[in-house]
Amino acid sequence: MDSNSPMSPGQPAGSFAGMGRGPGLFSSYRGARAALISTISTIVVLAALAAVFLLAAGAHAFEHTFLSPTDMWRSFIGNPKQGYYSVGAAIWLNIRMFLVAEVLILALALFIALIRQSTGPALFPIRILATGYVDFFRGVPLILVIFALGFGVPALSLPFISTQPDAVYGVMALVLSYSAYVSEVYRAGLNSVHQSQVSAARSLGLSQGTALRYVVLPQAVRNIIPPLLNDFISLQKDTALVGTLGVIEANKAASIYSETVFNFSSFTVAAILFLILTIPLARFTDRLIERDRRRRLAGGA
Amino acid sequence: MGWVGMRRSLAAAGAVIVLCGAVAACGSSGGGNGGSTASASATSCSKSGIQHLLYKQGVLTVATDNPAYPPWFIKNTPSNGKGYESAVAYAIAAKLGFPKSKVVWVHEPFNKAIIPGPKAFDFDINEVSVTPQRAQVVTFSNSYYPVQQAIVARKGTPIVTKHSPAQLKTYLYGDQNGTTGLTYITTKIQPTKQPKVFDTLAEAGAALEAGRIDALVTDTPTAQYMAGYQLKHPQTVLVAQFPTVGEHYGLVFKKGNPLVTCVNKAIASLQSDGGLTALQKKYLGIYLKFPTIQP
Repeated sequence: MDSNSPMSPGQPAGSFAGMGRGPGLFSSYRGARAALISTISTIVVLAALAAVFLLAAGAHAFEHTFLSPTDMWRSFIGNPKQGYYSVGAAIWLNIRMFLVAEVLILALALFIALIRQSTGPALFPIRILATGYVDFFRGVPLILVIFALGFGVPALSLPFISTQPDAVYGVMALVLSYSAYVSEVYRAGLNSVHQSQVSAARSLGLSQGTALRYVVLPQAVRNIIPPLLNDFISLQKDTALVGTLGVIEANKAASIYSETVFNFSSFTVAAILFLILTIPLARFTDRLIERDRRRRLAGGA
Repeated sequence: MGWVGMRRSLAAAGAVIVLCGAVAACGSSGGGNGGSTASASATSCSKSGIQHLLYKQGVLTVATDNPAYPPWFIKNTPSNGKGYESAVAYAIAAKLGFPKSKVVWVHEPFNKAIIPGPKAFDFDINEVSVTPQRAQVVTFSNSYYPVQQAIVARKGTPIVTKHSPAQLKTYLYGDQNGTTGLTYITTKIQPTKQPKVFDTLAEAGAALEAGRIDALVTDTPTAQYMAGYQLKHPQTVLVAQFPTVGEHYGLVFKKGNPLVTCVNKAIASLQSDGGLTALQKKYLGIYLKFPTIQP
């Protein structure tokens, strides 16, 4: 996206790397002395944290209840004949749910944001509806939306609509709720593009729609990628709420294990699996923010 | 009510475990009642021989929850001798040599009855399922009622008539997390489709009514109550019950209370002379009438 950005005149970003502190883990530490200090302070902090857990009166009980390797392995692979299901297999359902939800959210949220940003008097009733939608789904707790869809729609006994798998209702609820949030993110992005950009595009003969498509949206979307990814990290974890519909996703599988075997190490497994999913995306977001910062500095210089 | 008893059976056991994690001394709180030691169980079980073991000398103090539900108690009045558990308590008292007038009833909330510590009663009778986890913090008598698991399904659906062991595997089940019913589904029925697992039994019931699951499995008293009174849109039925897998109700004593030896003798005597069976026929006939099938 750098190439078509009007704010990046093509200077090498690297020449500005030393100008300020970035969000990267070690980017601000320079030289051997800094590396030494950071190593020592890291060891001290980690040792202090470890001491709290290892020296506490209930350290052994804590370890046995939450960090038992045997229980972690058993819950990871599962054994239905013993009464519990694989947490490792169940996370696949979470992954599928958020992949589908993310695509739908991107589309629905953009649609809502464009309606709310529209100015035509004929669109007034739709704008009111869109505003009401955002108010409603941002205000109602997600778990209630999941519940209402997952139990309510099947209770209607409609053909097809009422006979979908639980995961479908879960994804619908996630899409409805998250689109309300993400549409506001889009709106912030659309507002961040200066009106002069539209004016310039229109003066070049582009229609309103073409100007939106080729001038406004690319800049708006680039500005909101970090907050968008932030919402998606949150979405990945919230797929666990779909378990309330009875479907066995990772968190529910962990919960079944703990209720069956009376050991909570299964939740540790679920937590690790969610971390494996979210941390790469979090680091990727950091990199995008850093790149954007450099570009802004370049533009300002 | 039965379903209250069922929810007690395992959900609360989890709470005990959590308590055990938090309280280091949990499970080692054994010892005698009122200064006596466990070796006192060698004492004779005559009325005079057990006096020093009683919470209050001269009377047998029996606890249950308030309110207490039918068919275990009738009209929430444990002292009327009606209802299965009230009748069993009086029958045991009689075997120990206490006439009806020497039995004192006290109220004890369920959760208080199964946590460690001193008890303000000799024993508690409250549809408490015996579990190894609970047995670490209180002492249980032998069984006075074997718990069976039963199937609840919508009226007119295939499972109502087709429930051979092979057919049972083909249905979609749902149940509350952490219950013996769910364990029965996964370990005994072993269905081909993953069951749905809910946080409450009410959600499993709603899923059954909405047609999201074919059947749920829970203990017979709960199943009878759900099919008879709770799930009516559409109508549901108790299809059949399974043979007991050893789950049973036991009387609750303070951990290590030697009185349990004498009460177990009384229960054994009631089993051999047909006393328990007669009381089950009289008060729990609504449960006995359901057919028993193999998983």
